[in-house]
Amino acid sequence: MVVTMDVKLPEESELTVPEVNISGPTLIAASFHLGKYCEHANNEFMLCRLEENDARKCINEGKAVTACTMEFFRKVKKACFNEFNQYAHCVEKSSGDFSLTHCRKTQGVMDKCMLDKLNIERPAFGYFCEARVHDTKRPKPLEEPKAVYPDATPALPEDVEKKPARFGNRFYWMTE
Amino acid sequence: MVEACQALKKQDLPPPGGYKPIPFKRIPAKTFFNGYAMFAGYIGITAGAMYLYRLNCKQIKRDEIEMRSAKMAIYPMIIAERDREFLKQIRRNRDEEAKLMADVPGWEVGTYYGEPVYTNIPPDTLVEPIFHEYYAHSSPKEWYRRAHLKLWS
Repeated sequence: MVVTMDVKLPEESELTVPEVNISGPTLIAASFHLGKYCEHANNEFMLCRLEENDARKCINEGKAVTACTMEFFRKVKKACFNEFNQYAHCVEKSSGDFSLTHCRKTQGVMDKCMLDKLNIERPAFGYFCEARVHDTKRPKPLEEPKAVYPDATPALPEDVEKKPARFGNRFYWMTE
Repeated sequence: MVEACQALKKQDLPPPGGYKPIPFKRIPAKTFFNGYAMFAGYIGITAGAMYLYRLNCKQIKRDEIEMRSAKMAIYPMIIAERDREFLKQIRRNRDEEAKLMADVPGWEVGTYYGEPVYTNIPPDTLVEPIFHEYYAHSSPKEWYRRAHLKLWS
C-alpha cells in the first residue's frame, strides 16, 4: 500500500463514535430538515474537507456533524415519531429511487409537525443546491509555495539590449 | 369430318344489348380538410404538445433538483462517517502489511524494499490507495461485494 509508517494516522479509539444507524430512505425523508438543523456543522465540515482535502484534518468537524445528526433524530423521535415514520415509509415504498414526488400529503403532515414542535421550517426545494457562503474561525490552509528549481536556466536581465532581428521576421506580412 | 367440326364452333360475341360502358370516371376520396386546414392543424397540435412537454420538463427538472438537494443535505454526514471508517481501514491495512512482511528482510511498509511510490511529496501526506490496495487484505467476498456494488443494488 502507498501509506508508509511516516504517515500519522489517528488511533481507532479516536475515530470511534456512535454512528447514525439509519437506512437510506429514512435519511432521504429527513434530509431537508436535517440539513437545515445541522447547517452550521455541515458547512463547517464540508469547507474543511474541501479546503484541506485530507480526511485526517477534519475528524473533529466530522464528529460534530454526526453528533448533530444524532441529536436531530433524537428530537424527531421524541416530537414527531409517527408523522416522520409515516413519511419515511411512504418515501421507501412509493418508488425505486426514494423520490419525494409521490409523498406530498404525508410530507405536509410531517412538515407541520416539525414546524409546530421543533420549529424547523422546511427549506425550498433547491435550498441545498445553492452556493453558500460560510464564515469560519478555522484558519485557511496555506497555499503550496511556488516550486524553485536550483538548476533552472537563468533568465535574461531586465535591462539587456534588444537589437532588431538581423534577418527580419518569419511573419513579416503580419507584423510589419 | 371437317364440316362437322366447323358446325360445332361458336363465335364469341358480345352479350345481347352490347357490353356495359367501362367505368373510367375518377371517384376521388372524400376530403375532410383542405391543405391550409391541415397545415394549421399540424402547427396547432405541435404547439399544444410543445406547451405540455415544457410543463412536464419543468416538473421533472424541479423534481431532480429536489432529489439532488436532499442528497446534498445528507452528504456531509455520509462523508464524515466514510472518512472515519476509511482511516480505520487504512490503519488496519498498514498493520496487516507490517505483520505479513515482518519476516522479509529489507521490506519497509508502504514502499518496495525502501523505494517509495512518491518521492517529492512531504512524508506525512496521506495518499488515498487505489481500490485493489485498499481491499488487498480483505476476503475476496468483500472485494467482489464492493467491486460489483452496482450489480447488487
